[in-house]
Amino acid sequence: MENNNKKLKAKDFITIGIFTAILFAVEFALGMLGYIHPFIVAAYVIILPLASGIPMMLFYTKVEKFGMITIVSVLLAIIMFVGGMGYLGAPLIIISGLVADFIAKSGNYKSFKKTVLSFGIFNFWICSNYFPILVTAESYRKDLIDGGFSAEYANNLFAAINVKTIGILVVLCFVFGCIGAVIGKAVVKKHFEKAGIV
Amino acid sequence: MRLDPRTKLFMVFVISLIAMMSATTPVLWAIRLIITLIPIVLLILEKKYSSALRFFLAYGIALVLLLFFISENSEGIIASLLIGYCGIVVQFMPALITAWYVIRTTKIGEFMSCMQKMHIPDGIAVSLAVVMRFFPTIKEEYSSINDAMRMRGVMLGGGNVLRMFEFRMIPLLFSCVNIGEELSAAAITRGLGGDSKRSSLIELKLGLADYLLMSFLTAATVIFVMYKYFL
Amino acid sequence: MSIVELENINFQYKGSKDGSLDNINLNIEKDQTVLLCGASGSGKTSIIRLINGLIPHYYSGELEGDIRVAGHDVKKTELHELAGTVGTVFQNPRSQFFSVDTDGEIVFGPENIGLEPKEIKARLNDVVAEMDLDELLGRSIFDLSGGQKQRIACASVAALLPDVILLDEPSSNLDFDSIELLRGIILEWKRQGKTIVISEHRLWYLKDAVDRVIYMEKGKMAREWTGDEFNSLSEEEVKSYKLRPVVLEEELIRDIRGESASSFCDAGEAIELKDFYFSYNKHPYLIFKRHFKESDGESLNLNIPSLRIPKGKIIGLVGPNGTGKSTFLRCLCGLERDCRGKISVGGKTFKGRDRLKICYMVMQDVNHQLFTDSVKSEVMLSMIDKDEKRCDEILENLGLLEYKETHPMALSGGQKQRVAIASAIASDAEILLFDEPTSGLDYSHMEKVGMLLKELASQGASVIVSTHDPELISECCDYILGINRGRAVYLKENKKL
Repeated sequence: MENNNKKLKAKDFITIGIFTAILFAVEFALGMLGYIHPFIVAAYVIILPLASGIPMMLFYTKVEKFGMITIVSVLLAIIMFVGGMGYLGAPLIIISGLVADFIAKSGNYKSFKKTVLSFGIFNFWICSNYFPILVTAESYRKDLIDGGFSAEYANNLFAAINVKTIGILVVLCFVFGCIGAVIGKAVVKKHFEKAGIV
Repeated sequence: MRLDPRTKLFMVFVISLIAMMSATTPVLWAIRLIITLIPIVLLILEKKYSSALRFFLAYGIALVLLLFFISENSEGIIASLLIGYCGIVVQFMPALITAWYVIRTTKIGEFMSCMQKMHIPDGIAVSLAVVMRFFPTIKEEYSSINDAMRMRGVMLGGGNVLRMFEFRMIPLLFSCVNIGEELSAAAITRGLGGDSKRSSLIELKLGLADYLLMSFLTAATVIFVMYKYFL
Repeated sequence: MSIVELENINFQYKGSKDGSLDNINLNIEKDQTVLLCGASGSGKTSIIRLINGLIPHYYSGELEGDIRVAGHDVKKTELHELAGTVGTVFQNPRSQFFSVDTDGEIVFGPENIGLEPKEIKARLNDVVAEMDLDELLGRSIFDLSGGQKQRIACASVAALLPDVILLDEPSSNLDFDSIELLRGIILEWKRQGKTIVISEHRLWYLKDAVDRVIYMEKGKMAREWTGDEFNSLSEEEVKSYKLRPVVLEEELIRDIRGESASSFCDAGEAIELKDFYFSYNKHPYLIFKRHFKESDGESLNLNIPSLRIPKGKIIGLVGPNGTGKSTFLRCLCGLERDCRGKISVGGKTFKGRDRLKICYMVMQDVNHQLFTDSVKSEVMLSMIDKDEKRCDEILENLGLLEYKETHPMALSGGQKQRVAIASAIASDAEILLFDEPTSGLDYSHMEKVGMLLKELASQGASVIVSTHDPELISECCDYILGINRGRAVYLKENKKL
């Protein structure tokens, strides 16, 4: 049984699917806010990690095998692509998932610090959605305006997200990822551990 | 009409791709419109008239507003909200309609055998299938939770944003974890995750419609890219 | 020849005493149909899980002893290898489906074990013919009723042609007619020579179908009867084992199907309902919502122009599934906003959202309506003036005081339900609605719910309880209100009490 326990099994794949669906449902609900004002797009780095911290921390306790986070990131990349969010970001999403997986693994998926760190890194996937805005800044701006957006929206968007701020955004993403993880851990303890689910 | 799931996936791919590259000239807009109409027409062929009509109207209205009433110089709150709405719709609707169509008309079994044909690892195929299956479940669970919140008068969590979030999230997670446990148990006792290669009742076969649609989509992509980047 | 052999089994779940097993020795012969009965937590489900291998491969705990099923040593056999040998129908029809469409679900098992498409097709056709499932093919799982889902679940298990079929409380979420269909399926399996093990609280539908009955108590096999012995047990004996009745009286069956009367008796002091119309078909093309009227007739899911319901009594709401019982409850308490019905009680009239203030519904799945991290805060959440003393009183009355600080989700099903009832009481609602409160409960828990409802009514609350539980009706309902095709068809006093 022992060595078998390290490999992902059918049950784990089902769990992974379920949590990806939940994660995506949360992102989708919050993501829609972004079109109200471009500054909210930038604020994803704060909102999303905080909101997804709870389900993800529960998820971390549920599988505890290598590959769990990587597969989530692969699924997210696929969903983001299908949802029309950009193909440039996909590899970045998967890389952050993979790195997050390695970190969590090094703590055997049990270490508090490693888990927090891992979720912080995992949240880089949010930044990877900004990637097209950066790399193709000029043409993207023109595209937005020609595509029907007003100059005001485009200007605000670029005021919030550009080469200078991306560093800050990445850091924020990580920091709030860690905060989200700590909060998530606390909630998992408050509810799920108390209820004896994990 | 039965399309092969591989054709559907290809369609998702092409439509997302074209939706991502924004349209800037009339020719590009025309291609984009045609591409958006394809899933709507397919929905009509599947007799899902009301969703087709709703998608059509939402997309149409947003498009008209965006093209004729919002310009580069629009400013102010109303314009910005309007841009928000129209922006979402015009940008994401084509991909959304397609995804909706695919999810609504592809059976999980078909999907699994399609993944197998494309040599996607079983694990990822199972996870993706569960994602597809689980959205309606989340919706059902969430609406029950919402009812309960309304009944108990805690919709606003007593004015506390965190509690508002907590009250929705916690019961939802409890439900989903439970359903997940039972779902896995039921699936595994029926042989999921075995060593034998999974087979499929539905044998996938590309038909005339599939080839037509795929060539049409490919042509549209080529023309789009040519016009956008090379002409 | 024994096909299932459990030898010297001792088992305890990780972190829980419930459902543990104590020195179980059980041999089941081929072709036998065995019923496991007994209270919740007595170990019925654990035995089912031993036979299908979920213990120890899925649910972990401490296990001693040997399990052999059709020549497989279950402890050393992977779960998926048992797929063609043992099949299980689970309790909850909502969560045991992998596919979204019915056809796909039936062939899910055969596909997993890698059968040839031709063989799969043949099995699909066989199963559909045997179980008469034609009308359910090609449908979405999400559009089916609980009973229909359970039939598909049975078909999905049968398609793997297992020798041993296990059913774990399969009737819990079904109405009377669906249970009859389930009985038909079990008899068909029996005729085919399958070995069947059923864990169940509801016993009437298994009369004459089982060869052997095992009564479980605290993890032990406490009694055993042959099928004939069991059938001839007197009503009192059955009751003394805290089991649900084996024989249902004809009149109760008519009651439960909503066919026992056709007129309205005098309601006395009453809650008056007016203009309760509702339809789930919302005319999606219209921007403005249409007001429903009585004249919309058959197109409505609920059509009650006016109705008087006795106040301060317990009213059993009966009728076949899908004819408007749940809709009625949802409209009554104001959850369906498009229903513009008015409730008049004690000279005051409530409509729209105000209905939510005087009504409180305890849902069928109480998990959805528990939000906080302790029983106490759950009750306090419902109170308008946070009064800790009153909270303690309520909990005391419901026997929940010792769990005050426990997380509601850590409680058993019956306890959770009582927490939901506690918060209903705390909200000062005058009208308490219950949606199928006892469908999955054993006899003593059902009895407790019945007593609780009586107490609520004696304190002045009006209780409306939708149910297909004949035992609950005879236990506690003062009146019976029949609903059929969205209309209230009769109100009668329950003379049994």
